[in-house]
Amino acid sequence: MIPALGEFALWIALPVALWGCALAFLGGAWSRGDLVLSAERCTYAIFFLVAVASAGIITAFVQDRYEYWYVYNYSSRELLTFFKIAGLWAGQRGSIVFWALNLSLFSSIAIWFNRDRNRDLMPYVNGVLLALLSFFIAISIFVQPPFELLGFTPADGRGLNPQLQNYWMTMHPPMLYLGFTSFSIPFAFAMAALMTGHLDARWFQVTRKWTLSSWLFLTVGVILGMRWAYEELGWGGYWFWDPVENASLLPWLVATAFLHSVMIQENRGMLKVWNMGLVILTFLMTIFATFLTRSGLIESVHSFAQNLTIAWIFLGCLGVVAAISTVLVVWRLPLMQSERQFESFVSREAAFLMNNLILLGIAFTVTWGVMFPLLTEGLTGSKVAVGPPFFNRVNIPMGLVLLALMGIGPVIAWRKATPRNLKRNFLFPIVVAGVVAAVLFEMGVRHAYALLTFVLGAFVLTIILIEFWKGTRARARIEAENPAIALVHLVRRNRQRWGGYIVHVGIVVIFMGFAGKAYDVEVRQSLMPGESMAVLSPFGHEYELTYESLSTSRPQNTFAVVTALFTVRQDGADLGPLTTERQFVLAPPQTMTEVGIRSTIVEDLYLLMVLNQDEVGIVENRPDLQRATFVAMVNPLVPWIWYGGLIVVVGSLIGLWPGAGLPIPRHGGERTESDGLAPGDGDSGSSEHDPASGAPAAVG
Amino acid sequence: MRNDRRFFVGLIGVAGVVGYLIWTGISDTMLYFVTPSELLTRIAENPQSVAQAWRVSGKLVPSSYSYSKTELLHRFVVEDPADPSTRVDVEFRSPLPDTFTDSPDMEVEVVMEGTLRSDHVFEATEVLTKCGSRYEAMPKSESVALSGGRIE
Repeated sequence: MIPALGEFALWIALPVALWGCALAFLGGAWSRGDLVLSAERCTYAIFFLVAVASAGIITAFVQDRYEYWYVYNYSSRELLTFFKIAGLWAGQRGSIVFWALNLSLFSSIAIWFNRDRNRDLMPYVNGVLLALLSFFIAISIFVQPPFELLGFTPADGRGLNPQLQNYWMTMHPPMLYLGFTSFSIPFAFAMAALMTGHLDARWFQVTRKWTLSSWLFLTVGVILGMRWAYEELGWGGYWFWDPVENASLLPWLVATAFLHSVMIQENRGMLKVWNMGLVILTFLMTIFATFLTRSGLIESVHSFAQNLTIAWIFLGCLGVVAAISTVLVVWRLPLMQSERQFESFVSREAAFLMNNLILLGIAFTVTWGVMFPLLTEGLTGSKVAVGPPFFNRVNIPMGLVLLALMGIGPVIAWRKATPRNLKRNFLFPIVVAGVVAAVLFEMGVRHAYALLTFVLGAFVLTIILIEFWKGTRARARIEAENPAIALVHLVRRNRQRWGGYIVHVGIVVIFMGFAGKAYDVEVRQSLMPGESMAVLSPFGHEYELTYESLSTSRPQNTFAVVTALFTVRQDGADLGPLTTERQFVLAPPQTMTEVGIRSTIVEDLYLLMVLNQDEVGIVENRPDLQRATFVAMVNPLVPWIWYGGLIVVVGSLIGLWPGAGLPIPRHGGERTESDGLAPGDGDSGSSEHDPASGAPAAVG
Repeated sequence: MRNDRRFFVGLIGVAGVVGYLIWTGISDTMLYFVTPSELLTRIAENPQSVAQAWRVSGKLVPSSYSYSKTELLHRFVVEDPADPSTRVDVEFRSPLPDTFTDSPDMEVEVVMEGTLRSDHVFEATEVLTKCGSRYEAMPKSESVALSGGRIE
């Protein structure tokens, strides 16, 4: 019943979306408030209808309705209810509905918050959003129908790929979808600004929280994907530069560039066309990412289904959006003149610009690496492969420049830094970085990139610490508060700035986690029960892993689960047991490696069973036939990637927290140097005197 | 005006460095992606390229897989999907991916990186299998399901 209702709701949503889209644009053009209001109600209605459709899909999963193609292919009776609910985004057909659900939810929120403000922009914002919603709903109805019937009712479904039955994996795609869809809101505001010609800073100031939350969702989505790959794929790494991984990284890179470059427009009235370009490019990248993930056009181990129809549809959408945006930007070029000129390479503008160029350079490299095989094949006929060596070689140096800029950008002066400014802000951090370099070198860290990462990381962290210290000290002195309270008030006063610093700390920690890769240790050995293998950690201690026994169990939906039990000792001290498994899953028939991970704050001990060499030893439980091959790795600093991710989340949430806290003027108008984020030259603590203008941050 | 020009010089400079990195990066790390037949013909045409690394994609020959306990070595045979008579023996030392299964009723497509030894055994440094994906559950069988065919 409910699935049928869901299908019905989806069909109604399409005419409502198309009608609302027409109403919104006409209402805007004719200044007809009644039409505009009607169009906004269409958006709310679509959210309701798509929610009913989503509930229908989930119900079909939970009730094991295998007469539906989608449920049959992505579920089975034995699947946990949790994964059945996640069936909504397990496959393409459901995820398009899920996409429309998120988009209609975010559109409704944006429209609700702006029901009394930005009324000049809202008809066009809503029109753009409804056009996007129409597109996704139409795909869902005509190309990827989630409610398609098989024509008969199978007794059971085909089951979900066991590698996807992992809680990280359940959260990873929805996080990315949330990031992708919430970026539609800033894009819609940008388009509305172009259409109306109201091209002051308002369009990005009112969508700042949308941009930031979209960025946060993307960040979390990418990190969850890394975490999943690390636990589930069993090769000891977290990033393979696979096209699907790259697809999720591209919008993140451009969105990061956008988040930084809008600050230049806000403070200096420069780069208006550039920012417009970045917001459009980020949106295009979200569509491109979907195209890459879903089309299977690019050779990837992960995207298998060569669904060319959907590839062409997304490519077409990409082309249409790019064409319309370009025409709008060219038409409005006269309204986007820069108010100031670029003055010096040694300035905050230059540092931010450099940050943008590097981020776009990385995005370009990634796109190029993904597309190059396709281009070569089209042009010369011979297929080539571009793999991790290429991406690492090009992106690591650029990443290191980015790391350095993370320290320079926030404290260097606007316009033109004086030698005095440079000395005041950078002398001490450079000394600290030098000391760190000497100490690490003395301790034996000789890998150039790793060493540079730690040294630059120390440089950035020192600068951020000094900023916090100066700010707190100034506030404690002026307001006569105790330092702890002063720190809290300081952050609350300009959460965007201080939250941003905390995000930077998280990114530095993540970078250091990446650098640990240079010191990975791997030992492979074939063992009999009772024998041991030794792994030497790069931190100097030695793990001794003793293979105790092999045992077999038969949980649901498996032929067998073979578990190897180890005891771990570190330099003679007993650390307790560690297990690693191989599961032989029945539906779908597949082998799964369950990695044994023992985490400490600085490293992971990572153990996997390659294979056991005699089935008799397993079945009859005979220790003399239980020889098996194991791989033990020590992955230094990998846990820092996850810790860094948490710090990034905390920093972003500080910036996102509702209420006042962004020192921005309510209506457009960019700020002058005197009330910039940090005056850079002179005591940075003086940013405490930001006029703050008291305007509550307009939530989208 | 003068500053704007300086700004553009800076822009072009950065773009140039990035471009140079990409160019050298591609030419130094690029691998040819070939089928087993193409691999053999290319090496026959140009014997010097034997030392070069390749990426080869082919179909696993059913029941060809074996594991040497003493050498910790995986051995299997890959055939050209278009021309099943062309086969390449493969040796591989690292753990095989979970999706690698040698069962007669499953088609497993293998993508490998490595070099062809002079004894015409392909020494793989990396093996990936294509069946199932992160996001799609076994799409291969879609056609079977839709045609109302075999249901387990």
